[in-house]
Order: sequence, then structure tokens, then C-alpha cells
Amino acid sequence: MTTGSVDLLVVDDGATLRGYDCRDVVRVEVVAGEPGGYLVRLGRMGSPHDVACREVLGSVALSVREIRPVPEVLRERITGEKPWAVGCTERGMYLLY
Amino acid sequence: MEIRPISRVTGTVNRIGEVIGMGSTSGISPLDEARGELLREASIEAEASGREKAQEVSGSARSLLVFFIGAEGYAVDIAHVRKVLRPSRIARVSGAAPEVLGLMNCQGEVLCVLDLRRILAPGKETPPPATTEGKFIVVFQHERREAGFLVDAVRDVADLPSSSVHPVLDAIDPSRARYFEGTVACGGQFVGLLSPSACLNP
Repeated sequence: MTTGSVDLLVVDDGATLRGYDCRDVVRVEVVAGEPGGYLVRLGRMGSPHDVACREVLGSVALSVREIRPVPEVLRERITGEKPWAVGCTERGMYLLY
Repeated sequence: MEIRPISRVTGTVNRIGEVIGMGSTSGISPLDEARGELLREASIEAEASGREKAQEVSGSARSLLVFFIGAEGYAVDIAHVRKVLRPSRIARVSGAAPEVLGLMNCQGEVLCVLDLRRILAPGKETPPPATTEGKFIVVFQHERREAGFLVDAVRDVADLPSSSVHPVLDAIDPSRARYFEGTVACGGQFVGLLSPSACLNP
């Protein structure tokens, strides 16, 4: 199943850079009338759901070495949707959802 | 690591990704399986890189790291301090509790950075620090849990007999008292001896 890396679609939700597995992305829609507003539709591999974001930045390939578990101290301090991992690269951090 | 720009989204809909023709046949979706596999591989990598750290609490004498938040002094047993470092870029986290300043890349490890000033003022609206310049991050570790705590200044390490640790002052608010193991006199002033366990647990 895995090839030791994952391609992520990276979006900016206004506070955080979020990464979504490209294989799970159904499509990206521009939200009409809201400049900079996008809706990422997910669910090709998992349960269907949508994510609103401010900007779609592009895609990035993360190797296994760059994928880290979410620190427990953070996980228990997040309300709502929790990331499943953190992409930790020299250029930035991505929360993987 | 380069972010590859995708084609500009025009119109209302733009498809991204490929159809891979996989459906869920059980309770676990292919996405969950892929995530589990990646995390397993990642943890093997982390183990192989030899980042395990062992800490032992010393017996009768205690070495305490003394640091400051504003004018208030605090101490923590050095046995629970993994490192002290300067803040670098801290990535904010959506939906996190107010005391979470974000995540920092600490030599390839993900470090959660917490605002100790906010933790020690429960119930009070404390604005996040305007800047981290000139500050320090003290990384506490306790029973495999760790986090970085932003502090204003780090003074020194004081070696004191265990008998010099006095009970927490009665005057301290009970909601705040849980974060302290006691009080110690260091360099002519009393400082609060922090409980790493309490600081790391919400």
C-alpha cells in the first residue's frame, strides 16, 4: 500500500498549513464571491467530507522520515478534528488530516 | 522539499488527484490503512535514529534549573529538563487550546511549545507573547511526555539539598498550586518549584 512517501495537497486555513493525502482529494472548488476561499472535497479513499481553506498552496511529497506522530501533549489540547500526523520538513510544518 | 504549484484553480471546479479505484471493504478505510502503515514506518525510523533519552532522578541532592517569566522566578528539577533552546519558527495549530503556541521543528523532531505564563495563570486572559525574540524554550520531559515551555530568561542551575524544598505557600490559589511541588530559596529569593507532570498534563 505504502511506498514510503505520501503526496499531500497543502492548504492554508488561515492559521495552519494542512496537508491532505492527494489520493483522497475528490476536487477543489472555488467558493463563489469569496476571494481566496476554497473548498476541498475529500473522500476518494475515506469518508466524504469538505474542508474550507483560505488558500491552496500546491502539493508536496513527504518521505517517511518527515512524518511524525502528533505529540500527545498537543493531541489532548485540540478540540474538534485532530490531525493524524505532522509533516516535519526543513521548509515548514504541515498538520496531516 | 519544494511545494510544487498546482495549476491555478479557475472557474468553479478543478479536479485534483487520480482515480485509484479503491473502495472500503471493512471498517478500516484504505486511507486509514495507509496512514497506519506510514506511522509504523515513521516510528521505526525514529527508533533507528537513536533518539531515546534516559533520565534519572537523583537522590538526596537536587539540581534545579532556575528561570524567569517576567519578574517571577521558577525552578524545575534538571532531571526533567531535556534541553534549553532558542525559539525558531513556531507553526500555529488551528483548534488548539490557548496555551498552545504551536509546533517547532527541533532538529527533525516535532516539539509542542506551550505558553507557561498562560498555564500558570488559569482562568485569566493572558495575551500570547508578541514576540519570541530573546526568549528561551525549556523542554520538560516526564514519563515519555515532553513539551517546550516558553520562558523569558534562564538564570542557572542550582544544586540544593532536598531538604531545602519547602511546601507550596498557602497564599497560592489552589488552581495554580497544582503546578508546584514546593518553594525553594535560590539566590536570595523564593522561587516556585514546578511539577513537570502537572505542567505537561492539561
